[in-house]
Amino acid sequence: MDLFIQQLANGLIIGSTYAVVAIGFALVFTVLRVINFAHPEIFMVGMFAGLLAGVNLSDNFIVVLLFGAAGAALVGLALERAVLRPLRGRDVLMTLIATLGVAIMLQNGTAAVMSPDPVAFPPAIPVTLLLSERIILTSTQAVNFVVSILLLAGVSLYVRRTRYGRATRAIAERPDVAAAFGVDVTRVSQVTVVLASAMAGVAAVSVGALYGSAWAFVGLFYGLKAFICMLVAGNRFFEGVILVALALGIVEALVTGYVSSNFRDVAAFVILIAVLYFRPNGIFGSYDA
Amino acid sequence: MAMYAFWEPVIIITLINVILTIGLYVTAMSGQLSLATAAIAGIAAYLAAVLTTNFEWPFVPATVAGMIAAALVGAFIAAVTVKMRDFILKLTTLAFGEAVAVVCFNIDYIGGANSFTGITLHTDIWVALVATALALYVAWRFDASRLGIAARAVRDDPLAASATGVSVLWTRMVTFALGGAIVGAGGSIQAHYILIINPQELGFFISLTFIIFLLVGGLQSLWGPVLAAVVLTALPELTRFANEYRLILYGLVIVLVVLFRPDGLLTRRPTGSARSALLGGGPGEGLPSPSRDR
Repeated sequence: MDLFIQQLANGLIIGSTYAVVAIGFALVFTVLRVINFAHPEIFMVGMFAGLLAGVNLSDNFIVVLLFGAAGAALVGLALERAVLRPLRGRDVLMTLIATLGVAIMLQNGTAAVMSPDPVAFPPAIPVTLLLSERIILTSTQAVNFVVSILLLAGVSLYVRRTRYGRATRAIAERPDVAAAFGVDVTRVSQVTVVLASAMAGVAAVSVGALYGSAWAFVGLFYGLKAFICMLVAGNRFFEGVILVALALGIVEALVTGYVSSNFRDVAAFVILIAVLYFRPNGIFGSYDA
Repeated sequence: MAMYAFWEPVIIITLINVILTIGLYVTAMSGQLSLATAAIAGIAAYLAAVLTTNFEWPFVPATVAGMIAAALVGAFIAAVTVKMRDFILKLTTLAFGEAVAVVCFNIDYIGGANSFTGITLHTDIWVALVATALALYVAWRFDASRLGIAARAVRDDPLAASATGVSVLWTRMVTFALGGAIVGAGGSIQAHYILIINPQELGFFISLTFIIFLLVGGLQSLWGPVLAAVVLTALPELTRFANEYRLILYGLVIVLVVLFRPDGLLTRRPTGSARSALLGGGPGEGLPSPSRDR
């Protein structure tokens, strides 16, 4: 039972990070109809922006978080303007290849400028054991989880309660009709990419603090998971992506705990195939792409 | 001589990538974009390498056996996915590739996670050249054959094609089998050159490389993907002097081609899109794109 609760906690924590990356990925896909393979790399850039701020400026965690968000948002802004906007309306696969090209540039650019190997992340939060005895939980894990949950709550409020959120939902339903009713699709697209990027940057900093390291190739791991979460949930119900991401984190942790860590990554694909076989548009349905 | 020693591996690796790209092009001719190229190549590579290494078969029959296995796998995927929507078909091939990688990872007979090793060297530059020429010839002939035309018809509109008497299932099975066989040949030749098969090399990210070659080159002619495979394989090799920056350049080239050559490097004039003929393939903002996903 201890192992179960421990793995449940571990799964929720990793799942909350999956959820932040996946919801950003899904938002960009829903508004722009683009599979943005650069999104996980923007996450990685945010991690390094936070790392640089932490090493050179201040070890205050809030400052590090803000720099992570700003670094990621800047890259997102540039990506939207230089690549995504000119490619609007083009085949999904072509934009995928283009964002993949950007991803390769970001990965190897970071590896060239910083280091191809993992770099130590400055300890922005003191690591302390919160619950010992039977279940191990550290302060960094708790901070990581709380930051992720706040981000997820924020994005949910944004989509449901703000003007841009309403425009987002309108574009998701029918981009052409939304545009005819006066929604500035270009502007909303830009805001969406920047917002998703900034969120990823914040989550990345808290992941960096959690594992104590940043790596130029960390994006691949989160990217594939985020993609799978979006496909399994479908993008019709935004919060569905969050639920699936949390569930995936828990399933992976349980597989690691009870079977073997070799099969951890298989779990995601088994779930993907099983869900798509019975519900090709995802559990909660998808908008027409 | 020193120059040749540097060039030979580059040329052989480039030719192998050309063969694999031709296989993917043939598969994609009937509208099924496979994201499992590396997995199909891997299946053929494992089989051929086991036959030459553990059973002491000669290289050519072992490669043919690998090609047959790859063709059967291809035909099977085509049959299973024939009724699926475009997007789901891509995902199914992706999931298939990952599944094959995981299965190979866990079979101890072929080395599992530690890779299959002990393969003897059979590939030299002549094997690679002859195989590339054969693959090019087969794909070129197929392109112009009745079945090649049927495949294009199925790609452009399966419903209209079947209304004119073309069997969608049969056409897709044949193209995937033929494409699979070519990919299988590439896989076996690669395994007998690199002398090691690592199950991780069967996954999605390796398969994606060939999708990049295909789409950067353009789906309209055989020569576009071949050119893209040559340029994008040789480019990182030839820029090794700038080791840390070569992959950045690689990414940049991909982005620029997608932005400024919307239908790929080479387009076919008579049947090519009106836009690229008129504007020389500029970005053409505001004009409806002919290559839009439905």
